[in-house]
Amino acid sequence: MNGKLEYWVKIPIGPIHPALEEPEKFIITLDGERIINVDVKLGYNLRGLEWIAMRRNYIQILYLAERICGICSFSHNHTYSRAVEEMAGIEVPERAEYIRVIIGELERIHSHLLNLGVVGHTIGYDTTLHLSWLARERVMDILEAIGGNRVNYSINTIGGVRRDLEEKHIRAILDMIENYRNEVMPKIEEIFLYDPTVEARLRDAGVIPKRIAIEYSAQGPTARGSGVKKDVRYNEKLSVYPDLGVKPITPKEFTGVVKGDVFDRMVVRVGELWQSMELIERAIDQMPEGKIKAVPKDNTLLFQLKKAEGEGIGRYEAPRGELIHYVMAQKGKDVPAKWKMREPTFPNLFAIARALVGEQVADVPVAIASIDPCLSCTDRVAVVDANTGRKKVLTERDLLRLSIEKTRELNPNVRAKPEVVGVGCPRGGVL
Amino acid sequence: MNVLYATLGFLGIYAYVSFASLLWGGIDRKLVARMQRRMGPPLLQPFYDFLKLVSKESIIPRDANRFFELAPVLALATSIALLAYTPLGFEPLFGTKGDVILFIYLLTLIGFLRVVGAVSSGSPYAQIGAQREMIILVSREGPMMLALFTILWRLSDLGVTKPFSMGTFYEHNVWELGTPMSIMGAVVLLLVFMAWLASEIEVGYFDIPEAETELAEGTMAEYSGRHLALFELANAIKAFVSASLVVVIFFPWGISGYIGLTGLPAVVIDLLFHTLKVFAVLFVSMSLFRAVTGRLRINQAVTLFWTRMLPAAIVGALLLAIDTLGVVA
Repeated sequence: MNGKLEYWVKIPIGPIHPALEEPEKFIITLDGERIINVDVKLGYNLRGLEWIAMRRNYIQILYLAERICGICSFSHNHTYSRAVEEMAGIEVPERAEYIRVIIGELERIHSHLLNLGVVGHTIGYDTTLHLSWLARERVMDILEAIGGNRVNYSINTIGGVRRDLEEKHIRAILDMIENYRNEVMPKIEEIFLYDPTVEARLRDAGVIPKRIAIEYSAQGPTARGSGVKKDVRYNEKLSVYPDLGVKPITPKEFTGVVKGDVFDRMVVRVGELWQSMELIERAIDQMPEGKIKAVPKDNTLLFQLKKAEGEGIGRYEAPRGELIHYVMAQKGKDVPAKWKMREPTFPNLFAIARALVGEQVADVPVAIASIDPCLSCTDRVAVVDANTGRKKVLTERDLLRLSIEKTRELNPNVRAKPEVVGVGCPRGGVL
Repeated sequence: MNVLYATLGFLGIYAYVSFASLLWGGIDRKLVARMQRRMGPPLLQPFYDFLKLVSKESIIPRDANRFFELAPVLALATSIALLAYTPLGFEPLFGTKGDVILFIYLLTLIGFLRVVGAVSSGSPYAQIGAQREMIILVSREGPMMLALFTILWRLSDLGVTKPFSMGTFYEHNVWELGTPMSIMGAVVLLLVFMAWLASEIEVGYFDIPEAETELAEGTMAEYSGRHLALFELANAIKAFVSASLVVVIFFPWGISGYIGLTGLPAVVIDLLFHTLKVFAVLFVSMSLFRAVTGRLRINQAVTLFWTRMLPAAIVGALLLAIDTLGVVA
């Protein structure tokens, strides 16, 4: 076996690669065209959001949470709000919950349409990309009309929503659903469920069996595509979702079989597009009148949160899977002691890396795209020695020293004395 | 004197085909963009790209060997040599007996030089692209050659001056055989040739060696600047020449005879009409194909060639041959 080692080729997919939208590295060991090992390297896109949050109050973090990811900005914001609400015991008005459902499902539609296009692009079928992204514009326009922005609509706040849905918005949403039902969805189904090219490329690519999906704790459409009935909205009876009759979608209802491949994940996404439209319609029907914020004024809210103690966990089914935010309060301060989130991409990434072993190199981009990776929200600190491969725990002081060394390495002209202590880092041990 | 005219004509053809093939690149991009509901780049974008690439510095990898720089030059030289045997609405300039074999060799040589350049670059992406290019090259040439030689063999029976040459198609064409069997056979072979053409210019199903989203342009991964420009031009000419082959076999008719022109005007008119036919063939085999299909895996493409195209070529060849063999009276 050792003699064979030299024929193995290692190719890096990333950090910069046309198939990846964000910097991440997959080192793929190949035997011919067959993959024999996949190594995932995270940490190219660390933005230190958790650290930045230590200097912001609860309301300011809302806007930071939104910027974790551009595609599921509402999901992050919403989950964070749920965590803080649980921590401080704030009751959210029912109308606000319905508005959250509507915005959340609109976001799911736009996220799924985006991902369907991306998957089409990675198999070289650019027409699907342009079709589904053209359809996506309509949802984006509606989100802009409601929230004021196409991407970070900041509609959520702790204890409710900041903007009410008006009659014209509701009409626009219903118009859009009508249009999607009649014109967009038949085309999307035609392309993603019945096109021979798509089927040839996506069937049996990146297969995640049910057992692996459970073992690696895969989330969202990745898990449901493998036949795991896992959906936070359904399992946790989240907010008003039980009244709307939400069900986890598995490919079984559409194609009759569950294989756990890329095709099944696409089927789940197409199914969820239908489901989201239904949910929005029901939510609009059932939405009661009333106020939309538990605490009308931000100052009062901050004062209330300052007194809060304990910790809270928010969960929500983001388009990519289960999103968890954890907030720990500091009594007497309006900044949280700890804010931590777990994104669906993180478990999915390792599940897909496991699933890629034994497949062809041509399946790598499409399999990675099929879990809809959001790498900017996944990156955390992980220090690995490149030479020995050993991991070690670094203290704050080490990190500062390393960053100063790196700066000097990159720019030898910086001649200032390295100041290890007191470079804008909060003292007092909240880290 | 004759040699001088031939050389001047050859240079003229080279200049014209370079222009036409790059122009087709622009038309193709615009058409595909319109099919995908996009605006698309300007019509002359390939010219801008080419000029910009020529003016830019070419980066050569540290691990690259001499062939890395040589391959693009040789590829362009090969494509220019190819033009001497390409029928462009009139008989090839240097056409002679049996030049079809040379034609196919030169056409394959461009692909082979891409492989040489890619392997010499030392990049893993390029190496995988080169592997794929070789595999698909081997698969696609078989059915095409079988089809082409069957047609030529059948035509040479009709009594041509230069058998097995491109000039044959200007004396007789495949539809002239006239029997129902041969027409059916020719239709089957047309499909084989269309698939071969799509594979030769690497679009749609067969965009496998360059696979942008998988291998970051594969064989071309390490090329930049002037070297890339040479390859781009060589590829554009190759697309035009490959389509010319399909046109000359299946749609060889000129229009100069009908409007009663002779001499130079006839040549110009035929050349323009031929270009139009080439664009039409490329539209079907390149633009439409690219707009409605994605890329296959390499094993699927190879399977397609060996289990679909090769049997189709054999069936087509047998249908063509049946009259001569006397199986059906």
